[in-house]
Amino acid sequence: MRRAAVVLAIVLSHLVPAQSLASAEPPDGRQAMREMLQAYYYARSDGKAAVSMRIVSRQGHARNRRLTMLRLDQADGGEQFYYVYFHEPADVQGMSLLVMKRPGKEDDRWLYLPAIDLVKRIATSDKRTSFAGSDFTYEDVSGRDLDEDDHELLGEEAVGESRASVVKSTPKRPGEVEFSYRKFWIDAATHLPLKVEHYNLQGRVYKVYETQEIQTIDGTPTITKSLMKDLDNERFTEIAVQDVSYDGGLTPDVFQERTLRRPPTSWVR
Amino acid sequence: MSFRNAPYADHPRRGFADGVRLIPRLWLIAVSLGLVPGPAFAATRPEIHPHTKRFGAGVHGFVEAAYGPKFLGDERTQKDEFSLLEQRLQLKTRWQPTAAWLASWNPELFYKGDLLIDEYDEAVRYEIREAYGLVSPVPWLDAKLGRQILTWGTGDLLFINDVFPKDFVSFFVGRDDEYLKVPSDAARVSIVHPWAALDLALIPFFTPNAAITGDGLSFFDSLLGRVVGEESERLLTEPSFQPDQTEVAARISRNLSSYEVAGYAFRGFFKQAVGTKNQDARELFYPELAVYGASLRGPAPGVGGIAYGEIGYYDSLEDRSGKNRLIENALMKYLAGYERDFPNDLRLGVQYFVEQMLDFGDFTASFQPGDVPRDEVRQLLTLRVTRLFWLQTLEASCFALYSPTDDDAHLRPRLTWQASDRWKVVVGANLFFGTHDWTEFGQLEENDNLYVRARYSF
Repeated sequence: MRRAAVVLAIVLSHLVPAQSLASAEPPDGRQAMREMLQAYYYARSDGKAAVSMRIVSRQGHARNRRLTMLRLDQADGGEQFYYVYFHEPADVQGMSLLVMKRPGKEDDRWLYLPAIDLVKRIATSDKRTSFAGSDFTYEDVSGRDLDEDDHELLGEEAVGESRASVVKSTPKRPGEVEFSYRKFWIDAATHLPLKVEHYNLQGRVYKVYETQEIQTIDGTPTITKSLMKDLDNERFTEIAVQDVSYDGGLTPDVFQERTLRRPPTSWVR
Repeated sequence: MSFRNAPYADHPRRGFADGVRLIPRLWLIAVSLGLVPGPAFAATRPEIHPHTKRFGAGVHGFVEAAYGPKFLGDERTQKDEFSLLEQRLQLKTRWQPTAAWLASWNPELFYKGDLLIDEYDEAVRYEIREAYGLVSPVPWLDAKLGRQILTWGTGDLLFINDVFPKDFVSFFVGRDDEYLKVPSDAARVSIVHPWAALDLALIPFFTPNAAITGDGLSFFDSLLGRVVGEESERLLTEPSFQPDQTEVAARISRNLSSYEVAGYAFRGFFKQAVGTKNQDARELFYPELAVYGASLRGPAPGVGGIAYGEIGYYDSLEDRSGKNRLIENALMKYLAGYERDFPNDLRLGVQYFVEQMLDFGDFTASFQPGDVPRDEVRQLLTLRVTRLFWLQTLEASCFALYSPTDDDAHLRPRLTWQASDRWKVVVGANLFFGTHDWTEFGQLEENDNLYVRARYSF
């Protein structure tokens, strides 16, 4: 009898997805969102990427941004350092940005203007502001705190060839953001977001994020092409990511004022 | 901003070829016309262009045309109708030698220069803005040698411990903010340590603030006791070039969680000629100065946004007692500021600035008829409102300075349109208000101007 119970347990353990055994709580929206934030914004412990952005207006006019981004995590889901160096357009070339992301608090953000050698501290109360004039917000680029929203698992859907969990995230403090809720399609295999719909206060989709390409880099699934469409203004921003590397040995001393004045040549090329 | 009562004089640094008059208006028109059907507008590139360039490779820069008509047509100055008419080409390049024996020093050479066709002065000038070498002989030290822009401190266009030279002429006639800072020929050493960072700047070649001469902007000439223009002729004596006249500026700074703390020290000279050497010969000079100060900057507790404070003691070394009426007294300067952002790309900043003359009793005791009256305490309030429109391509901003003690004010409204990645158009105005001729902004009342700049960056 006892032996039968062991066999049954082994059989069952193969039938039930490993995911639900690994975590104590049942698979819910919050858990799916936590995994997404982890896979998307906290992949490995540090990362470097060359980012190209193309912002296309309703009239078809394009603006291009080219930047190098360095990231170092202090703790998974916790504090993070970001360093951004702008290569293009020409009039911002040489500008750089330093961000200390502190979940639950305002980020510390510094901007360096090389023409006047000025290190400027930037107020960051509004994280919904656009990042570098694109359709992505600061929060889209560096992640929105898990605790800012209630996350509800709506079910599973196929997105292209992938199976995705559908999660509805509703802000806990609705007055602070321009959307009433967001709907995420989170890839079951990689935990990366495949699609995000933003719903306005009337309940209509007005902004759509789509992942266009995922590459496995150094064993880590990475979004290398993505698109944010602003349906109201009929414009979009494409982001392409190249030269991605992980765990290259970034240290906290890279993320300080000196680096703003003098880009680290071993990282920014 | 500290150029109060400054006896402005001829800027001693002029480029070559004064008086070369070209006919660049056609060029200006071409640029203006080119603005509309410019190639950048048609650019809908099919692909995001990849990261192929090496960091800093190549030459960048811009061409810019600027025109600034005066509201009032001040006849005292060289030109009655405008205060700004110029075309500028700026080129910059960075070079990182890759020779193996140098590699560990991580060397870098940087150059940035402007060719300016200045139709106000009727001159063509070439100005090296920056030309320096930068090395790190050890990992914790950067040494920057050559012409460079030096900036530190926390204020928004108000300076206490930033004792480096400024160009308020450019600032008041509508040039880009970049030109408020005048480069210094200096050696700067930055040392980083887990406890603190130390910056040390040695400036052997004295560079004063660019002077308002009366040619471009009319101002209050303290020696003549009235607002003057071109007829103001004063002799300005700079400190001689001697090793012991080298200016030294230091900053020690560190972060304590989200707060930046810094201490400053400076030994050199006032950047304005606030000393009178010989009243009859109209001869002024730059007295010796030491400054000691501190600053704090970080998140404002509870309300969000950034708060900062800065303090500085200006020790007037050639008039420590305050008894010499021909030399500026010692001063205390205080600054408190707060900035925060709001939804919809709105940003507000307020500052409160106090300048207190020390030994005020000695100042009043030695005061003579004809001297410029001063209050012991001068207060200044500033407000900056910035809002972005059109998906962050249009910036509307206004910077207002108001002094309740001097009863004067300065308004700087500005619209910046980033028409494309390459084209930028700026329209703005500089407006001055005052009750008295001798106050900082009151003296400039006749110089109200409008300006427009079009810039193509590459």
